[in-house]
Amino acid sequence: MLDPKIVAELESIVGEQYTLTTPEDLVAYSYDATFTSAKPDLIVLPSNTQQVSEVLKVANREVIPVVARGMGSGLAAGSIPFGGGIVMALTRMDRLLEIDRDNMMATAEAGIIASELAAAVAREGYLYPPDATSDSYSTLGGNIACNAGGARCLKYGITGHYVMALEVVLADGRIMRLGGKATKNVTGYDLVHLIVGSEGTLAVVTEATVRFIAAPETERMAQAFFPKLADAGLAINAVLASGANPSMIEIMDETAIKSVEEFLHMGLPLDIEAILLIQTDGDEADATRGIEIAAEICRQKGANQVQVATTAQERKDMWLARGSISGSLGRIRPNKLGEDVTVPHSAIPEMIARIKEISIKHNLPIVIFGHAGDGNLHPNILFDKRDPEESHRVEAAVGDLFQASVGVGGSLSGEHGVGVLKKPYLELALGPVAVEMQKRIKQAWDPNNILNPGKIFD
Amino acid sequence: MCTDKVETSAHIVSQVAEELYLKCIRCGKCLSVCPIYRETRIETMSPRGKVALYRAVGEDDLPEISPVYASKFYTCLMCEACREVCPSGVELDVIMNQVRADLAHCGLLPDSLQRLSDIIVSAGNISDEDNARRLGWTENMASKPVGLDYDGQVEMVYFVGCVSSLFPASYHIPQSLAGILEKAGVSYALMGGEERCCGYPLLLNGESELALEMAQHNVEAARVTGAPQVVMSCPSCYHMWKHTYPEILGDDVLDGLEILHETEMLAGLARAGRLRFKPWPVTVTYHDSCDLGRKSDIFDAPREVLRAIPELELVEMADHRAHSLCCGGGGNLETYNRELAQALPLRRLRQAEEAGASTIVVSCQQCKRTLAGAARREKIRIRVIDLAEVVAEQIEEEPHA
Ligand SMILES: Cc1cc2nc3c(=O)[nH]c(=O)nc-3n(C[C@H](O)[C@H](O)[C@H](O)COP(=O)(O)OP(=O)(O)OC[C@H]3O[C@@H](n4cnc5c(N)ncnc54)[C@H](O)[C@@H]3O)c2cc1C
Ligand code: SF4
Ligand code: SF4
Repeated sequence: MLDPKIVAELESIVGEQYTLTTPEDLVAYSYDATFTSAKPDLIVLPSNTQQVSEVLKVANREVIPVVARGMGSGLAAGSIPFGGGIVMALTRMDRLLEIDRDNMMATAEAGIIASELAAAVAREGYLYPPDATSDSYSTLGGNIACNAGGARCLKYGITGHYVMALEVVLADGRIMRLGGKATKNVTGYDLVHLIVGSEGTLAVVTEATVRFIAAPETERMAQAFFPKLADAGLAINAVLASGANPSMIEIMDETAIKSVEEFLHMGLPLDIEAILLIQTDGDEADATRGIEIAAEICRQKGANQVQVATTAQERKDMWLARGSISGSLGRIRPNKLGEDVTVPHSAIPEMIARIKEISIKHNLPIVIFGHAGDGNLHPNILFDKRDPEESHRVEAAVGDLFQASVGVGGSLSGEHGVGVLKKPYLELALGPVAVEMQKRIKQAWDPNNILNPGKIFD
Repeated sequence: MCTDKVETSAHIVSQVAEELYLKCIRCGKCLSVCPIYRETRIETMSPRGKVALYRAVGEDDLPEISPVYASKFYTCLMCEACREVCPSGVELDVIMNQVRADLAHCGLLPDSLQRLSDIIVSAGNISDEDNARRLGWTENMASKPVGLDYDGQVEMVYFVGCVSSLFPASYHIPQSLAGILEKAGVSYALMGGEERCCGYPLLLNGESELALEMAQHNVEAARVTGAPQVVMSCPSCYHMWKHTYPEILGDDVLDGLEILHETEMLAGLARAGRLRFKPWPVTVTYHDSCDLGRKSDIFDAPREVLRAIPELELVEMADHRAHSLCCGGGGNLETYNRELAQALPLRRLRQAEEAGASTIVVSCQQCKRTLAGAARREKIRIRVIDLAEVVAEQIEEEPHA
């Protein structure tokens, strides 16, 4: 419980209507897309940077934790207020401020829904490439704080590659602008990209300027059915090494296929172990040539059926299955732990094999689906949280997954961030010196440790 | 507060609903389509938030079922857009209906909604008028609709619905439909004061027993006319009759009666060559109402009629068919929170503009009121018109043989 005087002070900053304290509100702001939860003491929904700044001044003075929150679609428990305090939801700050066609950059407030920013850019005839599957239910600020990436990042890179400038508010309430529209900038440390991926622990992002690009003329998509998962892994590698230059390679394993088929009844075959979804883009000739190369490689590597979409609708249908997996898994088991370990291209087949071993070893269904082309395999462990013994096995399996990833030269997280769920493994991935240096950065930016305390590391 | 009822409700929750809420993986996808969330951007009012509240009651994580809890569930259009996109198969509609029933049971129905229920029960309609005034819409017509004093066997009975019967701004819809029937040579009957509210607002208030009484009366009154078909222009009446009446009155209640929405009837007439249209060189978009589209699965009939009109160009809005965006007129929200309900249609009007349409065709008097009202308030130059009105305007005087 916060001191009523402080509550009143916060109310005077953001307005009573946007200072939420009822038991119902505390429930609604206690979770993200993981299976964990913890209630805040209070929620503020500021409408501008000044209010963000004023709230942080109060919180810093009183040493109250402040957890920035977008749309709570995070998969690392990053926006859950484990230590109570204030949840600061940026969702009302959702204005698109500028589309600068000359510099090909857009500026928006942090709470804008990512897909709405992309749609505004598309209306001008351009492409904002970052395309997290969750882009219609996550914010630009959340995408920046987690450095989100989507299917297209194989060719076009992740959110961080598009962030040019930020307005952030520091723990003590000072407002700071970072970066700018110049495309090359080596004036001091690159603080923009320190904030990218910082999961709300260094500053609150209130505004961002992102780059966009010319939209590729056309896209081609192919879907390949593999009786053997291992063959799909080899095919990914071969396509990457070819001249196909894919903009996306997504994988769905057997369990993912079954789960999504049960949800959508699309007529997917149920006797195969994997589907690869491959996309190319560019001008007509490039896209077509690329998809044909990729399709041929899949056939050679053991696909028993390869379909190349001929219409936009067919492409949409192919994508529909992939886009619906994550959610449809709830039909199998109530809980899932989605890991996003990412390994170097060369290690994709090896990692797939290791994941399956871990699944057998711990007797837990582990589903693989996701942006496989960039090595981001998305193994999802399915379980029932109410069964303590099973939850225990999950922990062990997670440990093994991280070991395996790091063992083949990969990372703990490709896109979801560390949050609290991967905290115990941070040193395994980074080594003690790097963790120590990161902690020092945190201390310098947030000496009172009020910004999302306990995330990434203690 | 309703502490003794907490047990009742918690009991219900723990008995039947654990599987309802456990399926929610909290992905947040439903936030992207919820009109209320898109407007307020507040989680507590989102579909995911509602599931979480429901769960919190089931798991004793909320101290009591309070008016605040209730307010979150009444701040909902019951549009089911959330259920439509939920990849995990969470039956949000079942949850919402169950909670509203529990709340009514606990005496937590807010005053404004309680008043609505009382009016419907005592007057037989939603606007507290003498039910005999239901034919008010026929009064200023050039010639009286023949359905007023039909005799002998008729092809259909027209169930006009409360809004079209009693709100002057909507009179033009039944007037148009009556005119079309006459021009197409379809014999029909009107029930006048014998028609009562279909019961939908009562169901939304969680009072299914009261809705059942309305349903019984209406089915009997329709049978008296001897018509084999019942047609309605209101999608909510239609959904009630077609889907809810059999649920609450038994599967055989509609035996021998075919229930049709105006869009299906018009498509049927057009297909049978009983309607012929003048050209209409306009770019229109069609707004799927929740009760007709998503909930009743009728998407093609209205589009078929529009495509039969020469020179008309039909464009789609960003959210259409099963993913249509509610106009803001659903769920009794207008009665419960008028200010919020009035803020919602703007997004829909913008979508129509972005699609390049100058006219929005609806097939629901409530969507028409809501969208047209917002267009007027916001000074957006876009015309909102019901499909029956379009057909009445564009129909050739001489029907096909
Ligand atoms: C079904 C599903 C699919 C997904 N697919 C993808 C995918 O393809 N790619 C991908 O990268 N991720 C994916 N995610 C994960 C998630 O959507 C992303 O991490 C997203 O960026 C989170 O954004 P959000 O607005 O929901 O942030 P939240 O979940 O609210 O917060 C996430 C973190 O960001 C911080 N934060 C949020 N806003 C700010 C701010 N303004 N300033 C500072 N810190 C802030 C929070 O403190 C927290 O640490 C998926 C999630 C789900 C449920
Ligand atoms: S879409 Fe379904 S599973 Fe996802 S948060 Fe909403 S109700 Fe829960
Ligand atoms: S029924 Fe409609 S208004 Fe209600 S929560 Fe679902 S999407 Fe939102």
